Amino acid sequence: MPQARRVALVSGGSRGLGAELVSGFLERQYGVATLSRTKTSFISDTLRSRKRRNFHWRAVDGRDHEELRAFVKEAGEQLGRIDVLVNNAGIAMEGILPTMRMRDIVEAIEVNLTAALVLTQACSRFMLRQGAGCIVNVSSVHAIRGRAGVAVYSATKAALDGLTRSLARELGPRQIRVNSVAPGYFESDMVSNLPDAEKKRIARRTPLGRVARIDEIANAVHFLTSDQASFITGQTLVVDGGITC
Amino acid sequence: MLTTPTLGQIETIVHERIRALLAERAGEVGHLSGNEKLSATLGLSSLDLALLVAELEAQLGVDPFAKLVSITSVRSVDDLVRAYQQAFFPELERREDHTVTAAVKRAQTRRARTKRR
Repeated sequence: MPQARRVALVSGGSRGLGAELVSGFLERQYGVATLSRTKTSFISDTLRSRKRRNFHWRAVDGRDHEELRAFVKEAGEQLGRIDVLVNNAGIAMEGILPTMRMRDIVEAIEVNLTAALVLTQACSRFMLRQGAGCIVNVSSVHAIRGRAGVAVYSATKAALDGLTRSLARELGPRQIRVNSVAPGYFESDMVSNLPDAEKKRIARRTPLGRVARIDEIANAVHFLTSDQASFITGQTLVVDGGITC
Repeated sequence: MLTTPTLGQIETIVHERIRALLAERAGEVGHLSGNEKLSATLGLSSLDLALLVAELEAQLGVDPFAKLVSITSVRSVDDLVRAYQQAFFPELERREDHTVTAAVKRAQTRRARTKRR
């Protein structure tokens, strides 16, 4: 692969928004590395497709720090460089805090926050040496607007936004940009499992009157990783149809 | 990447990397001495240090700051060299530990004698 080709590493690229991002980066001629716990049909199909030369996947448990670091090293060596990191992997942990099991709290922090820190640290080494790079953390509107039943999830996503702002200052002098995308409700397993009444309530409260299509969230990530966003860093781009405005 | 560099090779590599970084900033760089302070004397920022660590990890294949050493304990050129030497030769750290332990024991003995008097 030519060294000049851009390379994106997307965590949790086996389904949902992650898979959409992987497809989008491949269409944009990026080399793409992604990790997930399981091999989905999307991963199998991509590995079989003609894009497979530009695609690297491995099963990694996001709670295993050594595995995460090894994956970044392997991806960097195989694809030649790392220009973009999207910290997309995450789990929804629902339930009010007073009755939540400690192991569920720890798991949410490990998967949603610690894994992002480990991946960011490892990828930033490549970006520091390249003197350029771009990191996008996939946050949530729940990091901005409170909602009962998602306190732990909100805490992990708000932490990602804090990481975005401080890391933008740390890495800016080496031309590494760091931003967050905070999606509102979008077409995903999480939303499709909601009761119809709840879906209607969300649509009613959203100025644009519907939930987002998954590509509308991915487009925001692609914008932030593109040269069109070359002077944007340390920001959280809220993509929610106006539900938090 | 070297598989098992000698202590001298590690020192040379670390010095070369620092000199290259300084040269990028200020052009020509003179002799680099081990006791020069990375920040106070050489003017390296924490981001410069991170870049050094990234480059040395790529060249030497080790990152002593992942588990072994805290980056905040690195003040001088020699501290940085030692961190990488310890990553390849862990016995160096143990030797230093023994030296510190012996010094602590001597100090405790002295204090105990003073109290008895």
